[in-house]
Amino acid sequence: MYSLVDVHKRYGLRTVALRKLNLDIRPGEFFVLYGPAGAGKSTILNLLAGLTRPTSGDVRRDGASITHLPPERRNAAMAFENYALYSHLTVAENLAFPLRAAGVRPAEIEVRVKSVAGVLGIPHVLDRRPGFLSGGQRQRVALGRAIIRPADIYLLDEPIGHLDAKLRHRMRAELKALAVDMKATIVFTTTSSKEALALGDRIGILNAGRLEQAGTAAELYDRPANTFVASFVGDPPMSFLNVSVRPAEGGPALVTGDGQSIGKAPSGALGRGGLKAGVRSTALTLVDPGTPGALAGQVEVVEHLGHSSIAVVLSGTDHIQVLLPADARLRPGERVGLRVDPTRLHIFADETALATDAA
Amino acid sequence: MARITARRLIKRYGAFQAVHGIDFDVADGEFVAILGPSGCGKSSTMRMIAGLESISDGQILFDGIPVNAVRARDRNVAMSFENYALYAPITVYENIAFPLRSAGKDAASIDRAVRSVAEKMELTALLGLKPGALSSGQAQRVGLARALVRKPAVFLMDEPISHLDTRQRYRMRRFIKSIHQEFGHTMIYVTHDQEEALALADRVMVMSDGMIQQMATPQEVYSRPSNAFVAGFVGEPPINFLDYADADDSGLTIEGNRVALTEQLKARVRLIGPRGLAAIRPHFLRLGAESPVRLQGRGFITEELQDHNEIFVDVGSVRVAIVTPPGLRVARGEAVTISVDPEHLLLFPADVKVKEHADEL
Repeated sequence: MYSLVDVHKRYGLRTVALRKLNLDIRPGEFFVLYGPAGAGKSTILNLLAGLTRPTSGDVRRDGASITHLPPERRNAAMAFENYALYSHLTVAENLAFPLRAAGVRPAEIEVRVKSVAGVLGIPHVLDRRPGFLSGGQRQRVALGRAIIRPADIYLLDEPIGHLDAKLRHRMRAELKALAVDMKATIVFTTTSSKEALALGDRIGILNAGRLEQAGTAAELYDRPANTFVASFVGDPPMSFLNVSVRPAEGGPALVTGDGQSIGKAPSGALGRGGLKAGVRSTALTLVDPGTPGALAGQVEVVEHLGHSSIAVVLSGTDHIQVLLPADARLRPGERVGLRVDPTRLHIFADETALATDAA
Repeated sequence: MARITARRLIKRYGAFQAVHGIDFDVADGEFVAILGPSGCGKSSTMRMIAGLESISDGQILFDGIPVNAVRARDRNVAMSFENYALYAPITVYENIAFPLRSAGKDAASIDRAVRSVAEKMELTALLGLKPGALSSGQAQRVGLARALVRKPAVFLMDEPISHLDTRQRYRMRRFIKSIHQEFGHTMIYVTHDQEEALALADRVMVMSDGMIQQMATPQEVYSRPSNAFVAGFVGEPPINFLDYADADDSGLTIEGNRVALTEQLKARVRLIGPRGLAAIRPHFLRLGAESPVRLQGRGFITEELQDHNEIFVDVGSVRVAIVTPPGLRVARGEAVTISVDPEHLLLFPADVKVKEHADEL
């Protein structure tokens, strides 16, 4: 188990990369660090590799500090986003490099190089130099060089981020299968929600140097700790309604800015300001305008995405995304009703999730 | 506003030809996305419309009048790029007002125009700030507002939102689309992102290798792609390609599976011949034997994306992706029957280029 304990990382005097960060990476898990650019993802990889040290706090392995252990004694394999291949070596030689350095026999090196090249779909470019490869091929060589040798931990910095959509989708599956086979401990960074959900045994969501939440894909999707996580996990992202608590028959209700009730208020919401109700596009059903119990709104825009459509509905001052079948015929300006699945509402106060009352 | 026409439009850079004599029409007030991979000629095409690149051969007409010889600044074209250069020392308000002041408008009409566009772009609260205090998404909205405010005949956008995260991208898409609905400019939007193109445009012009592969509504390029390139470039997750052989009226063979054909597909087979490329979107495949059109395969991996699953199954030598409702799983090596919706099976001539690209995967 690798742990970051109260890690603070500053670059220079002003740039804070990580703020009092605590994170455990369990043996054999595929851990995805997911967040926007500049959130601190690469800094965490560099700390685990030993390429940089925390300003304060500790990096530990199985409870013992490795903060001052040099990179060559950590047995970490790393793939960088900017490839860092040896331009004077062929692809095969680049892949073989970590094995030669470790003194592996030439016959075994050849077998391993062929096997990795096969998995990554680059067996036909083994004799080429990096300068004659496409960006996607180079990225796969960099990934191959990282995974070719046994390591205690694999640190992969957006290793498929530069591939085109088709290849990225394909490589995602390959990487997941490979990880299952290798039973390796992997830390992988991405800016893609789909990639994070598809790959991670657990996912850590980073925002401006803070760990917002760590958990399985299902935990992050179904029980986001705050509005940042809620809006960052899932595509399309969760929509939010600004709500407040009003007395009503049968107990306090959550009411939108223009006075529409969306259901019972959880007890935790009483007396709280800055309330938001989050709802995913799949938890909404389009109904006729004026349907009792449905939110009234007006279609702002309709996006046709091929297999489905997304309508943005303006209800009061809140913009709500609704997932629709591809053949939905809605027009901007049209009045609609939205039925909200009450079991799939997420209530936040001051951006933090409130517990829902047990039924 | 303007109608834009290209006739036999060619762009050469020295000996290299980037755009190969393309023809297209963009109606007055229409939103067209030019979609394609890098190097397909989409940016060259847009830059010729803007007047930033000379036209090597052929013509561009605005409302039927050739503009080949008209300078960029006289075409009344507004452009927005991914990197929006705002003037740092002045406020958001002054940044938006800048093109109007340069055009010598009076203060009252400038104020009206700035406030109206700011409200539409949800920038009213930011008007007093300087660009340094803005987030990248806000700065970009200011860039768009500045481009919009002078009521251009044509609004051109080159990958304006590709660097944003998912949340911001959805938001910007809503802005761009509602701007178009509100102001009705003729819009041309260049992107390599198929989802953006489908989401925003009235019609999508798919380009590759300097040629137009298809120009049609988002629904059409998705459901009725004109060739294998368009089929492969449009759609998320990407379409599955499988070689087929021994095709005749009795059916065709895909990776050892004999598949019967609808009348429509029989007609395609008569056109294409006994061999070709079958394509089917992951959304139109099902696990199970419900359809008479079936493929046998073995499970590779299941991805749980929460609102749906993506399951990869090896059918012969081809790894096929299937979109399923959440909860369905397939184990590695498990024997699986896949049902194909024959209405959505597409057949294309065996395209050497697409095939090479598929091998590349």
